[in-house]
Amino acid sequence: MIDRRRWLDRFVEVFARQMAQRTSRRSVLTRFGSFLVGATLPVLPVARAAEDGRLPPPDDAALKGDAGDPKSCNYWRHCAIDGFLCACCGGSQNACPPGTEMSPVTWIGTCRHPGDGKDYIISYNDCCGQSLCLRCRCTRTEGEKPLYFTSKNNDLLWCFGTKSRAVNCSVAVVLGVATRS
Amino acid sequence: MIRAVAVVLVAAGIATAADVSGPALDYALNCQGCHRADGSGTPGSVPALAGSVGKFLRVRGGREYVARVPGVAQAPLDDAATAGVLNWILERFGRDDLPADFSPYTAAEIGGLRRSPLTDVERVRRELLEAIARAR
Repeated sequence: MIDRRRWLDRFVEVFARQMAQRTSRRSVLTRFGSFLVGATLPVLPVARAAEDGRLPPPDDAALKGDAGDPKSCNYWRHCAIDGFLCACCGGSQNACPPGTEMSPVTWIGTCRHPGDGKDYIISYNDCCGQSLCLRCRCTRTEGEKPLYFTSKNNDLLWCFGTKSRAVNCSVAVVLGVATRS
Repeated sequence: MIRAVAVVLVAAGIATAADVSGPALDYALNCQGCHRADGSGTPGSVPALAGSVGKFLRVRGGREYVARVPGVAQAPLDDAATAGVLNWILERFGRDDLPADFSPYTAAEIGGLRRSPLTDVERVRRELLEAIARAR
């Protein structure tokens, strides 16, 4: 029994020494972080969505040219956006750049996907908390209304309910598929 | 790294697209941008619908107020669609607060009320909230 414990001690010691020699603390943290993300994702709405009949948003990669490029003004979701594209500013078409906060108050319209021909509900949220990004300026006006329809006008700054009113860039988030019955 | 993980999680959380139609679509396109998907609104900027809108129908003048607020009276929808989305809102966000004798809005009722939009929304709202508080 004692020999077995010594063997186990020796094994753990050698393993720990080799690990310490071959890896850095930072790489261990990185791998541990990846493990945590992998373990967390199945309980997020992505997994639940498959159960309640939701579909993933259309595949941008299948589109030819700028229509599938979130950094382009011609990206299909940008049919009524007015601002700087967050995909060019350290964020993405769905997420604000680090250090900014997504405005909960937004304006919402629809854009037709050139691949499947469906009209998707798009939320144009401003990302707030830093000065203007000044990269990838884009102004398109499909379905936009004049200023006197404030809830449908994209000339306004939409940083309401955020800590800062300074706007940095805008995202174009798919909320759903608009089906007229 | 924490920021990177947060971005991944946010992107994953919104990577779905459900079919939306009828009053739910009208709500998404005309109301949700300010009142939010869950009707929670934004304190200081946009009134909440959830847990609030149904209570207005329990006091005198509340039914008319709900149909005359700017978002309803000026909605770019016809009378029938406006009645539809308003009834949907009351069902979804005010179901537990509605009076027992509640009857859904009709297109004709909306058509009549939206012809006289409120000119002092804040004052009317304040008076109705006081009436709601007294009625508890």
